Amino acid sequence: MIGVQDFIGYYDWTFEYLRRSYGEQAVRDYWVRAISQDSQIHARELIGGKGFDGMYEYWAHTLEMEEAGYTFDRGEDYFRIDMFDCPSKGHLIRRGLAAYHDYCEHCMGWVKPLMDDAGFVINHEHNHAGQCWWEMRRAADLVEAPPPVGGSHDVRLLPQWPQEKHDLFLNSERVEDDDGV
Amino acid sequence: MSAGDFYFAINATFRFIHDTWGKEALISYWTSMAREYHAGVAARFQEGGLDEVQRYWADYFAHEPGGDVQVSQSQGAVEIDVRECPAIRWLKDGCREIVPYYCAHCHYVSTAIADQAGMRFRLEGGGGVCHQTFYHGEG
Repeated sequence: MIGVQDFIGYYDWTFEYLRRSYGEQAVRDYWVRAISQDSQIHARELIGGKGFDGMYEYWAHTLEMEEAGYTFDRGEDYFRIDMFDCPSKGHLIRRGLAAYHDYCEHCMGWVKPLMDDAGFVINHEHNHAGQCWWEMRRAADLVEAPPPVGGSHDVRLLPQWPQEKHDLFLNSERVEDDDGV
Repeated sequence: MSAGDFYFAINATFRFIHDTWGKEALISYWTSMAREYHAGVAARFQEGGLDEVQRYWADYFAHEPGGDVQVSQSQGAVEIDVRECPAIRWLKDGCREIVPYYCAHCHYVSTAIADQAGMRFRLEGGGGVCHQTFYHGEG
């Protein structure tokens, strides 16, 4: 039986299996169709129906269930998550698993289409080491730069935050480095 | 604690592969997973024999959320008596449309694991109640 206790390991393996069998686009399609539009329909219902309240309700449930290390912050115009111990990436790191070349990409892969449909944009950065921050805003509330570092819970204050590779997204779009990567 | 909502993703993954590339592609996915991702499990079974098979599955089901599964060994076989499958229960409780071939993954994955370990595997039943057997020889 394929159970849930070691799900993350073969989730990562599945990304690589799809990539090598059907190409990179198949992995992207998988995150949209299988995860965002099928597996996570409960997230769609909550966030589509309740907005920021639904985000809190969904992630409070799922991050508690996954035993993540995180904090939430809410304001009139945003919902924010600071993830200082991602249960998913942490599981892979602790076990030395890295079948797919960019595991962290799957979060934007399924959350972005959900937020697009629900009328929100995502500002997000991850360091490929189990830390990331997310800030969801209404679709018209675009930003020009990442929010300033602030508050004792900001994951960017952690000593392990600086890593060789970071990926940054503003207004749900990837921000390319100067060298185009 | 396991995150039971991952069963939603497992069910959705099966549907995605089946609906995109067909049944044979889904079977290839299951058998590839067994041969690659579960290669370590097969090695444990080959080295430790049926005692290890019993230990593995008793521990595995003990760490899945819910369900009612008894694992025993007798007369050269490990018997896994699934009285209530934790996956089917979680999916039903979540009001999910369970793919009709969901239970087939146990057959294909465990058969491929058993094959690597020099064993045989048999599955009877399905839909949340089944009996699985790992054994040596033709039995």
